[in-house]
Amino acid sequence: MTSCGHITEYKSKYGTNQFRIIHAYFIAASSDNARRRKGKSGVCHTCRFPSFRLHACLYCVYFGCYTTKHIHEHAFSKNHNLAADMTYGTIFCFECGDYVYDKELESIAQIQNEKAAKSLGLKSYNFIAWEPTEVEVEILRQNPKRRKVENKSTIGLRGLINLGNTCFMNCIVQSLIHTPVLRDFFLADKHNCQMTSVEAQQCLVCEMARLFQEFYSGNRTPHIPYRLLHLVWTNARHLAGYEQQDAHEFLIAALDVLHRHCKGYSDNKCLSINKFFTGRNGMTSGNPHHCNCIIDQIFTGGLQSDVTCQECNNVSTTIDPIWDISLDLGPGAPIPNALLNVNNSSSSPSSGFSNSPGTYEPTSLLDCLKRFTKPEHLGSSAKIKCSTCHSYQESTKQLTMKKLPIVACFHLKRFEHSTGLHKKISTFVSFPEELDMTPFMSSSRNNTNGYRNQIVQESAKGLSCDNKYSLFAVVNHMGTIECGHYTCFIRQHKDQWFKCDDHLITKATLNEVLKSEGYLLFYHKQILEYQQ
Amino acid sequence: MADDIKRKDAQMRATINQKLVETGERDRLKDLLRTRLIECGWRDQLKQHCKEVVKQKGLEHITVDDLVAEITPKGRALVPDNVKKELLQRIRTFLAQQADN
Repeated sequence: MTSCGHITEYKSKYGTNQFRIIHAYFIAASSDNARRRKGKSGVCHTCRFPSFRLHACLYCVYFGCYTTKHIHEHAFSKNHNLAADMTYGTIFCFECGDYVYDKELESIAQIQNEKAAKSLGLKSYNFIAWEPTEVEVEILRQNPKRRKVENKSTIGLRGLINLGNTCFMNCIVQSLIHTPVLRDFFLADKHNCQMTSVEAQQCLVCEMARLFQEFYSGNRTPHIPYRLLHLVWTNARHLAGYEQQDAHEFLIAALDVLHRHCKGYSDNKCLSINKFFTGRNGMTSGNPHHCNCIIDQIFTGGLQSDVTCQECNNVSTTIDPIWDISLDLGPGAPIPNALLNVNNSSSSPSSGFSNSPGTYEPTSLLDCLKRFTKPEHLGSSAKIKCSTCHSYQESTKQLTMKKLPIVACFHLKRFEHSTGLHKKISTFVSFPEELDMTPFMSSSRNNTNGYRNQIVQESAKGLSCDNKYSLFAVVNHMGTIECGHYTCFIRQHKDQWFKCDDHLITKATLNEVLKSEGYLLFYHKQILEYQQ
Repeated sequence: MADDIKRKDAQMRATINQKLVETGERDRLKDLLRTRLIECGWRDQLKQHCKEVVKQKGLEHITVDDLVAEITPKGRALVPDNVKKELLQRIRTFLAQQADN
């Protein structure tokens, strides 16, 4: 786009100062003072109303509406041919009859907009639309074949051959392959393997990259994941052999190996997340998971544990990184009423609690999460030395989410080993398609949100989508604790569900998914934050 | 009588607008809307639509106003309901807060 002759003429006569002042005070308004002025005088000088397409004359002090043509009347009667749009800062030339572009004025506007965004803590200015780099342009040129992914396209769906009781692996692989952010990472070829070429044969991240290529190659025959299995056997020896394994155990082992193999190139970025996990008392939690590798960026959340001393009410807080949330099923202690109120957000059904004071069994994911985050009394057998009153005291412990991961993985503990008898809990536990984690955040413990007004509080609660999640994969287990079979449901595009049973992929409905006996539930954050 | 109500209504709008600008809330709302529209793909969809319109009419024969008139109905229709709802609730919260002070 070239600048029009009228702007060039204008600039040589008057310079850019008039635009700079109008932009600084009435368009960007980066200080409280400027905003007050803008609020007061941002009205049309003809009709005195704040219209939403005000323009400011670049020759004299005049603001006028564009839609009612007050600015046009002014421009023609006074022969002032340029005006700035007071919302976006673009320049309209009345002689050309269109908005015109000028690099110099745009860069002035850019600087002032950034300043204003910073002063208000706005995020969207961090958004930069994707533009291909020179290398990418070259790759696109060399590979002219384009594939348009449409709603009914099945690309990305592929069965996995069972290599002898390896359904526990297949269902996790399917879940990982259909994790949107992980897919974006691998399909964008972001893994830069730092290992030597010999070692790279052993790199599980490289194998994942190959798997993504296999899944998105368009090939429809089932894939045989023998290389992956071999890598798992060599990297996680406890999973080697043809025995039945626990899918959850495999997930954690896989994440751990992936995280370790990513490490090579993420070491230099470790600082940022370390800073976050420094507890309130300045002590780090000493967990080795602090890094910025793709696995940690996606799966790591921060679990806050508050231990309150019964004697002096001192609270000691620690924050630990977690990759998944394991939730107890089966009978447990009832939830105190006070906590029920806290979590009584509009979306959560309050069903599932038996009223008997003795025990209750959670029948929904929300129940499980309420149980997970309820204050727990540590009895006399578990006295802890309080750092404030220096005596061994009984205490209360409460877990909350300090930082939410991008992908939240919930593990329903259906396999019970603790009571001496090994058994599977097959209770139906309902789980929603959309989950709001706000009630389980550390910040929700003090429920006022800083507002005094009841209405404001209420509306602030359901307000934000920031902590909302969508279901995208469910792993199911059929059978008993000794012998069974894993399958999973995965989501394609926005709302299409498929059942993956080793090499078989069949279409499924959301209802089938929600009615299934879930073992591992994968939720994806609806909104991702921009990096500051 | 009807004129009186209309006048009061316009005055109310002006006052609210002024408050929104002064406190920076208008920019925050705009920021939120921008982010949400980027996230849900609205921005990409409209951009694509704009490209098609420009291609169809020819770059030399189209003004910004033409383009705006052409895409506005589609642009409005494509804003997801939950984004509208969230914005509305934010504005309500802001107004309640202002009334509270």
